[in-house]
Amino acid sequence: MALKPVTTPDIEAATVELSIDGRTVSAKDGVSLYDVISSTGKIVPAMCYHYTFDPFGSCGMCLVTVEGKKAPVRSCTAKAAAGMVVRTDGDDLFQARKKAVEKHLSVHPLDCPVCDADGHCELQDMAFHHQVTNLANAKQKLIPEDTRSPVLDFNMNRCIACGECINVCKDVLMIDALQFIKKGGFTQVVAKGDTALACEFCGDCLAVCPVGAITNKFSKYLYKPWQLRKTTTTCNYCGDGCQMHLETKDNEVVRVTSPLSWKNKWGDRADTAKGHGGICVRGRFGFQYIDSQARLRQPLVRRNGTLPEGELVETPWLEAMQAVVDRLAEVKAAHGAQAIAGLITARCTNEELYLFQKLMRAVIGTNQLDSSSRYGHLNFVRAVRHTLDVGRMTNDCEDITKAKAILLVGTNITETNPLTAVRVKEAIRVYKSQVIVVDSAQTNIAKLASYPMIVTPGTEGLFVQGLVKSVIEQDLIDAETTGKHPEAFAALKRAVADVSLEAIAARTGVSVEHINEAASIFAEAPRAIILCAEGIVRRPDGYQNVLKLVDLAWITGKLGRPGSGVNTLTEEVNEQGAVDMGAAPEYLPGQARFDDEAARDKFAKAWGAALPAPSSGANLMEILERCRSGAIKALYVVGENPVATLPASLEVRAALEQLELLICQDPFLTETAQMAHIVLPACTYAEKEGTFTNLEGKVLRVRQSMDPIGESLPDWHVMTSLASGLGSQFEYESSQDIQSEIMKLLPGYYNLGEPRKLSPKPDAYLSNGYVAEVGSRYGVVREAVSERNGHRPFGLVMGQLLYHSGKLSTQASGLITIAPSAGRLHMNAQDMERLGLTEDSRVRVTSGQGSLEMGAKADLSVMPGSCFFPEHFNDPPVKDLMPVEVDSVTGVPYFKFAWVSIEEA
Amino acid sequence: MSIGTLTKKVLHAALFDEIWDAMKVTFRHMFHRPITFQYPREQRTIPDAHRGALGLLRYDDGKERCVGCDLCEAACPSHCIKVISAEDKSLPLQRYASEFYIDITKCVFCGYCVEACPVNALAMTKLYEYSTHDKRTLLFDKKRLYEIGERYLADAKKYLFAHNQEKDDQDSREYRYFFPQSVQKPTQPGPPKHLT
Amino acid sequence: MPQLEDQRSTVYKVDPEHPESTTLPTLRTEELLLNMGPQHPATHGVLKVILELEGERIVKATPVMGFLHRGVEKLAEDGTYHQFIPHTDRLDYVCAMYNNFAYCRAVEKLMNITVPERAEYLRTIVAEVQRIIGHQFWLGTQALDIGAMTVFFYTFRDREILLDWFDELCGARLTTSWYRIGGVERDFTPSLLGKVRKFLDYFPPKIEEYVVFLEKNRIWLSRTQGVAVISAEDAVNFGLSGPTLRGSGVDYDLRKYEAYGAYPKCEFSVPVGKNGDTYDRYWIRILEMKESVKIIRQCLDQMPEGPIMADVPSVTLPPKDRVFTNLESMIQQFKLFSQGFDAPPGEIYCGTEAHKGELGFYIVSKGGGKPYRLKIRAPSFIHMGAFDHMARGYMIADAVTIFGTYDIVMGECDR
Repeated sequence: MALKPVTTPDIEAATVELSIDGRTVSAKDGVSLYDVISSTGKIVPAMCYHYTFDPFGSCGMCLVTVEGKKAPVRSCTAKAAAGMVVRTDGDDLFQARKKAVEKHLSVHPLDCPVCDADGHCELQDMAFHHQVTNLANAKQKLIPEDTRSPVLDFNMNRCIACGECINVCKDVLMIDALQFIKKGGFTQVVAKGDTALACEFCGDCLAVCPVGAITNKFSKYLYKPWQLRKTTTTCNYCGDGCQMHLETKDNEVVRVTSPLSWKNKWGDRADTAKGHGGICVRGRFGFQYIDSQARLRQPLVRRNGTLPEGELVETPWLEAMQAVVDRLAEVKAAHGAQAIAGLITARCTNEELYLFQKLMRAVIGTNQLDSSSRYGHLNFVRAVRHTLDVGRMTNDCEDITKAKAILLVGTNITETNPLTAVRVKEAIRVYKSQVIVVDSAQTNIAKLASYPMIVTPGTEGLFVQGLVKSVIEQDLIDAETTGKHPEAFAALKRAVADVSLEAIAARTGVSVEHINEAASIFAEAPRAIILCAEGIVRRPDGYQNVLKLVDLAWITGKLGRPGSGVNTLTEEVNEQGAVDMGAAPEYLPGQARFDDEAARDKFAKAWGAALPAPSSGANLMEILERCRSGAIKALYVVGENPVATLPASLEVRAALEQLELLICQDPFLTETAQMAHIVLPACTYAEKEGTFTNLEGKVLRVRQSMDPIGESLPDWHVMTSLASGLGSQFEYESSQDIQSEIMKLLPGYYNLGEPRKLSPKPDAYLSNGYVAEVGSRYGVVREAVSERNGHRPFGLVMGQLLYHSGKLSTQASGLITIAPSAGRLHMNAQDMERLGLTEDSRVRVTSGQGSLEMGAKADLSVMPGSCFFPEHFNDPPVKDLMPVEVDSVTGVPYFKFAWVSIEEA
Repeated sequence: MSIGTLTKKVLHAALFDEIWDAMKVTFRHMFHRPITFQYPREQRTIPDAHRGALGLLRYDDGKERCVGCDLCEAACPSHCIKVISAEDKSLPLQRYASEFYIDITKCVFCGYCVEACPVNALAMTKLYEYSTHDKRTLLFDKKRLYEIGERYLADAKKYLFAHNQEKDDQDSREYRYFFPQSVQKPTQPGPPKHLT
Repeated sequence: MPQLEDQRSTVYKVDPEHPESTTLPTLRTEELLLNMGPQHPATHGVLKVILELEGERIVKATPVMGFLHRGVEKLAEDGTYHQFIPHTDRLDYVCAMYNNFAYCRAVEKLMNITVPERAEYLRTIVAEVQRIIGHQFWLGTQALDIGAMTVFFYTFRDREILLDWFDELCGARLTTSWYRIGGVERDFTPSLLGKVRKFLDYFPPKIEEYVVFLEKNRIWLSRTQGVAVISAEDAVNFGLSGPTLRGSGVDYDLRKYEAYGAYPKCEFSVPVGKNGDTYDRYWIRILEMKESVKIIRQCLDQMPEGPIMADVPSVTLPPKDRVFTNLESMIQQFKLFSQGFDAPPGEIYCGTEAHKGELGFYIVSKGGGKPYRLKIRAPSFIHMGAFDHMARGYMIADAVTIFGTYDIVMGECDR
């Protein structure tokens, strides 16, 4: 309900009774009358209203009569009060509303034939509904179109000044990029300061615009809504897994729209705790890669020898598959199953990930397989599986929204997971949550947070340690939970005894008082959420640092308390699904340990094949090592691109050149595919059916919205025929068949798409094994491998941009228009000044691994002493400057951070 | 049964008089002008309202009428029209159809597209002889449709008039659709009549 | 019967284990199963009938339908109400106008629209012209089926005149789509009026001409009189309508009972037969053509001036000249064509007396611009239900005339 948002979900407003059209209705005191009317199922027309923000009251359509008032009142801005007698129907109201429509129409241009919103236009609907036929004094505004923004065009002739765009931007997304301005006698919407729009480009303003005043530049004038086929599917960029509508015409993706729209304006504000239906810039404008010209359309087979002389030649599917099967069988016959390994991307569907590991384990007979969850998410899963016996984050979006304190550690959440960020923003705005942001940059969420803690790059883990210490020092511990395991708590106390807050303060650059403050805010909140991401799980000691966060949650009593818990964010959409489906050497489907005998028996029986030996598995780093040593002769790569992802020091290229057979299955000819012997064209998510599991554990449908491009095939289809070629009968005719097999093996996994509530079970771990482990966890703060020293003063962070996701989004022309590969290092302006650099300067960046020359640019979010380079682009190959460290427990490679020196080139 | 009727019946049975009655009619027709004619040497007179092949029209000044609004596509009951439109880069806020296809093999000649067109860019003509050996040529594209429109302009105008889509030639000029003007680049020859 | 015995012995040789080998009678008569159609020129399209014959006599006749099924009812759910009109042309493709009329009437009943008076007259005139065409067509083809070819030429000659008149009226001879929800698409021009008046003078003598060929023709008489007899009670029970029902003496005509269009303002009689055979139905159709001429004449005389479309902005299109210049008319145009009008939720059935019988449309609306379900009560289909009953005991050669007597058109029957 709007107008009077409840600041705590636990406190209810008083209930009043009023009469609407002769019916007695009870409502919360002080909420918008419009909401009360719409909750009874009556729909009063309104053009400026949307349930996600407070009523604005500019359109004058929602008129109702209230007894005791002479003229009709606007129901949206009126507040429900006890004893009101309201009438919503009647000829007088119809005429009054008709007048309001006429007012808007009389200054509206005659451009339905031109306008993209035509057919999806509230003004049209209202004019038609109210049967406006004779307009007097029509005049036009004649305002030139504002085409300055790279994404949206503003045609203010069509604007009805409803303010929905401004309100959604300010209230819901808290970006506040738009404003009203009076220009040329008319109120217009412009970007803040009447400049070119420069915002997060989420396009929610476009979605809520009830007319065609805001136009999508990428689909402008192409088609009208009625020509497009709308498929509801799941976005495949980040782990938020947003629902979106892919609108296609024949085999062309025209645009993407969100469930958030002016059409869905009636709802309960409380429902937005689960999401407001919007999507981000990547989802809305990053669809062009689906039907891009660069897509692979035919299988490619390398002819006339091998690398580098051979040439990839287009080959029919039958021949290419025959080659794949023959050569895999050859390798297996000559060197055994242990000579074959596989890698898969977490952008595949659950069904494909399941099928992949089944293919590798049951058909080929090797446990050398890995997915892109290895780059970080497995740190989190392994840690919480080890300590809490859960396999994913313990809370859902609703818990985040309703939290009283949120601790964001090492996450630039508005960039990496923009829609989860909206949940945090709603927590700040509606539920008045205290947000502590621990990051090395001045991120957008840090600007909104009540406790931004800017730390020295690479010390997020140290800060967590400080929090644990501070909680114990300030005695903020929850006696009840720690009391249950006194030995464990004593061990923890012993472990942190040597930790000095002052030393941590010196290293992190955050004062002891601030650490103490953050600790007390977190510990004292009744519902406190921890969100950690790349700054924890992708940096050295990621696994240990997650364990420290679990410790923090445990001693403050947050484990298992409703609305509290330890959570993470995933970068690729199905990283959670990849782990759940067992696309990792340590896990079978359902996160059963690979060496668990009972689980092994179950799957061996279900698949009718013996599983490979428990210790024979290899993760990503081990696979590369074995490729290099020649133990692995054949590698099956599905959608992964290790050549472009991993630093040169790992010698991925050399390792892959050793292979007798490299099979790449990808929608694009990636760097890895260019080295392959056989390249198979795969479909994108838009061309196949399946499911994704998002970070909350929600299983979301992916629906086919178009025919496959060229001769590309869905991955499950290729894997099925590959298995059949290798002599196993995989009888899947659709992804539903695979789904039903998963349902049989993992009952309740799909759970109708709703995440199941998880309850952390730390007791087993705390009473057994914790004491032994915790001693070394806090011991001496280990010097990081690439610790800062005198001649490498800058911390170089490689991270995600809002506008991109992995390497995939660089194929989307829309996102490249917004954020092209600039080849420039983002630096703090003061640092640039100190080094005598300007925006045109070239800089030489030197790390222990080498040196590179690139451009530089000032970035307000980068703090002094650090610099940033987007990880999506390899031009110049900044990744090669990164030192690599492999986690000793989880095998996760850390290569996103380096200490560098910068000088003018 | 009286003798008279009996005789009549017998005579009727014997003489086949109904055959003679009918023959009389048939023979009378030998002196009529034949009602068949020898197509294709002789052609039918096609009425103005006839719904034949579709054509796209231009204004008298040569400007394309079609603004690419895609309403014809929405109105078409057999889904045989496909319009792809684009913005005219030199004239902001002006939309035009960059591609226009009518699959004439699917067309049911109902004339709804003409009725729907808000700018009277489409019209039906008296053209009905476009049979071909190659079915692909029956996917009329924009060029072909404008050719038809140009060649059968007179038919098209008569069609629009006959179906109440347009007043006669003189009046129809006033009903021209004008794009809402863009201030940046005034492109239209003076303010539209309805705005003054 | 020694030969038959021999044959039996060969059966034994082939399969001595045959279960019926011992019980087989030495001599037996069997019903012959004959598939008639669907590729039979006399089956009016693609009707298939499985005839069980005893000698030449029909014991049982099972019509098999659906060879021309195009899913028209399903197509209706896909488009707006307006977009379905061209689909109705293709139901009974011989008489598109009456299908249009019946459908538009149904939607108007759903939307509660009153059609202007002039439009009602126009509709009635064209509907009656269509009735004449339908009966001409029936007469020609029925006579042809029975073996009289000449009538076919004469009826088709006169039908051509009317089809050309349709062409001039709406632009197409068969797929007319001239009726609109709320009125008609186009008014009569003076030329059209002149032509129809001329036809009214020309046509009655031509009816006499057709009759000359058949009235006393002994083949015609013997193949129609006493053939396909159905009693009044059975006809009602089978749901027959139109001339097929009235041939059995039931005086039921929706033009009289429902009094739609301009029919209540015209004087005409409804001819009724008494024997319920094909001959009576033939005679009723001849008389109906004469009545139609009367109705058209009266309508032409009474027809007032006025609008031809109802003025309901939420349903009917705005005048085209306003679309160019007025925003509200343009919005109306765009809304109506892209989304259609918003029908109230509900169910309606509306029957109309087409020349074949009662053509009804049953529409279920759940609101919005498209019908939720549309069912067509096609007289051809209903009449085929009585085929078995009416064909039993007649000769195989009569089968064609029996389904001919309903005036079936498979486009409507299979939909």
